[in-house]
Amino acid sequence: MNTWQRGLLALCAILALFGGAAYAQTPGAPPVEFPYTGNRTAVWIVAQLHILFAAFILGAPIFVVISEWLGYRKHDPRYDRLAKEVMKVTVILYSMTALTGGLFIFVLLATYPQFTTWLINHFFLVFAVVYPLLFIGETILLYLYFYSWDAWKGEKKARHIALGVLLNLIGTITLFVIDGPTSFMNTPVKAEGVSPAEFLATATLWDKIYNYSWMPMNLHRLVGNVTFGGFITGLVAAYMYMAAKKEDERAYYDWMGFVGNLIGVGALLFLPFMGYLLAYELCDYDASICPYMMADQLSMFFEMQGAMVGLLFLASNYYIWLSMKRIEGVERVRMTIFAPLVMVALPFVMTYGWTIFPVPDPRSLAILVPLALLPVVLGRLIPLTVSSRTIIKVGFLMVVIGDAIWLTPHGFVPTGAKLVAELELPSDWNFLALMPAKNSAAFTLVFVTVVNYIIYNRAIGQGTIVWGKIDFVSQFVLVFLAFTSIWTMGLMGAVRSLLRKYFHTYNLLPDFTAESFTPTLSYSAWWITAITVAFYVVVSFAIFVTLRPTEAKGHAPEGSPAPAGAK
Amino acid sequence: MGNVIKKLVIGLVVGGALWGITKALEFPTVFQMLFFAYAILGAAVFILLDAPSLKPLNGVKALGALLVFYIVLCVVYIAGASLWPQYDPEDEKGKIDKILKPKRAATEQGKAEELLARAKALDEQAKALAARIKALGGDQAPGAQASGGAGAPPSTTGAAGGDILKIGEDQWQLQECYNCHKLRGEGGKKRGPELDNIGSYLTVDDIKQKILDPKSWMAEGFEKEYEKGKMPDKYKDLMEENDVIALASWLVTFKNPSVNTPKPIKKK
Repeated sequence: MNTWQRGLLALCAILALFGGAAYAQTPGAPPVEFPYTGNRTAVWIVAQLHILFAAFILGAPIFVVISEWLGYRKHDPRYDRLAKEVMKVTVILYSMTALTGGLFIFVLLATYPQFTTWLINHFFLVFAVVYPLLFIGETILLYLYFYSWDAWKGEKKARHIALGVLLNLIGTITLFVIDGPTSFMNTPVKAEGVSPAEFLATATLWDKIYNYSWMPMNLHRLVGNVTFGGFITGLVAAYMYMAAKKEDERAYYDWMGFVGNLIGVGALLFLPFMGYLLAYELCDYDASICPYMMADQLSMFFEMQGAMVGLLFLASNYYIWLSMKRIEGVERVRMTIFAPLVMVALPFVMTYGWTIFPVPDPRSLAILVPLALLPVVLGRLIPLTVSSRTIIKVGFLMVVIGDAIWLTPHGFVPTGAKLVAELELPSDWNFLALMPAKNSAAFTLVFVTVVNYIIYNRAIGQGTIVWGKIDFVSQFVLVFLAFTSIWTMGLMGAVRSLLRKYFHTYNLLPDFTAESFTPTLSYSAWWITAITVAFYVVVSFAIFVTLRPTEAKGHAPEGSPAPAGAK
Repeated sequence: MGNVIKKLVIGLVVGGALWGITKALEFPTVFQMLFFAYAILGAAVFILLDAPSLKPLNGVKALGALLVFYIVLCVVYIAGASLWPQYDPEDEKGKIDKILKPKRAATEQGKAEELLARAKALDEQAKALAARIKALGGDQAPGAQASGGAGAPPSTTGAAGGDILKIGEDQWQLQECYNCHKLRGEGGKKRGPELDNIGSYLTVDDIKQKILDPKSWMAEGFEKEYEKGKMPDKYKDLMEENDVIALASWLVTFKNPSVNTPKPIKKK
């Protein structure tokens, strides 16, 4: 996309932003009524689209700069090329982030003018000064980083990497700043014995930003953005692999897909725990949020989340399996027998242990840590080994079992109020539906994936990897991972917003409109799918316009990532 | 193909065994089906692991395969989400209406009061104008409607009607207290104490105090640090005082000594 096209997009974003603001200033303007979708869903669509674009443009530069640095350190031009190609897509999607951001404010002001004005008043300094300045700063740095890529190579590469680090620093601060109002809507400041409205009147801006769920949300989004960026990189690689006509191109995009998946999965391993931390803080803020999430109106959303996370882990491990198949000499790789034994024991021992010592209790770690380290310690003392193929297959079995534990509900009812014996777990087996079992399931998925990557790493060390010869179905796995991660993100985004129940800002500002109820999972799934498809269309277009012409013209030689002195 | 059949058979056997075991353990049918589905999922995963490689696709074929793949994903995700039990928003709409009614009324009342104040100011201006006209010699100024305070509001003392216990029970449902407290054998997840015998320990005022200030009373066995803040400190802002009294009055009627309601200990 040319500079003038990007400028046009940015202009549209500014028009939408100021048009919305101007519209809201019209005295007595009644809220707009969106046909078909209704106001709430209209805001949902635009907000979710904006978050998806924003997540990518904040997440991708984190590993872009790491990739650039790896290229510089290892003298491997593939890393530099990966970084630059992902950055090209990021630049296009940056314009879309601005456009959807402007549209979001426009729709929000048009549909909920009173609430929007109220929120802006409470965070005036953030919305009017800090956020715009950060956004402008990030825009300048992003374009500077992208356009100085070829100019700052060789001796100047370190300078370019430093610029990338600065870009990420500003991006992370921007995320943290905008998470202030977002998390405030879920967990506004409060103090014991004082009504929220009274306390709010005396609260400082920092009090409002530094609310209960602010830091957990920052961490969750930061890790989630990297996961998301990694899987989108995998998507880019899959598209390009499918379109590649030369062997070297296929080899490169095979490698890129592997790296994207590695980044995505690497960050994904932390995501269940970050999500747990966020949920824990939300429940700590108001215990009634917990049953609303897990046992009542949103309980089936969490069943769906369990299914999606299970699919993500299955697919990412399947990708490792496919990757292993193209490594020559993989059959020689073996591992201690205690690895599969711990895999099998993990969900059962942890469920039992964490039932006795629930998670806030430090003794819960006294069970988990020795168990997880058992293969390392005993493996050195007792030299019994099994083939990597066997371990991976046991791992798949445990992923299925872990997902089964995660998925098993307390009852097949949408709310606890409708629970009857014919749809409820027998009381002796109720532990399957409780948090210790769910946590052990999540940990099993993570443990299996880590073991698989260790095996993969050994396989690379002992065998020869043949890039470009991976089973073609792996490209569909990469597409699947990207689609499923976006869908899951949409689902959990909906959950977080719905946790405010019938409030715009929880317990503070009620939503008096007729739409302030919990929608069905089915209805939500339709819209989440529609949003995911819309995002996919734009991303696919961005990949097409940025990377296809490069291929058609023949790829320009990569800028040498090595310092001149090293040559 | 033989490999696929072999794994499918293993899946069916494992699924059948799980079905039989869960049936013997008196799991409801829907859970038996779920465990069977897990076994089939496992079989599908292992079939996939040893499936033959897919030949590379190019051009239109690759594009077509991608589109079909996306359509399948969309259909599966929407269908998958629709298969789970669906919450009926109508159940909630009535509750939300009831909860927000006083707040909405308060908002409208605020507007009405503003209108009344403006009308009063206009009335005073009109009176002042009439006085000036009278002072100028006009006797036709409209007489004040001072025929004996007809504007006095009707008495509300008799409007307390309705069964207070019914209102209390309604509040139990509206505020979803059953999510944490078991009562009459229903609800509760051991987050809060079972309340069937609460009337033997607390008075209406005590219960009211507990609702408005959750840390004022703590039940025996719920004194761990992380349990102290479990009951939300929000009902003083969410509920009208009359509703709190109604809920407390309803709860105090529960005096069933056969249920082990833990003894409340006064903390404030």
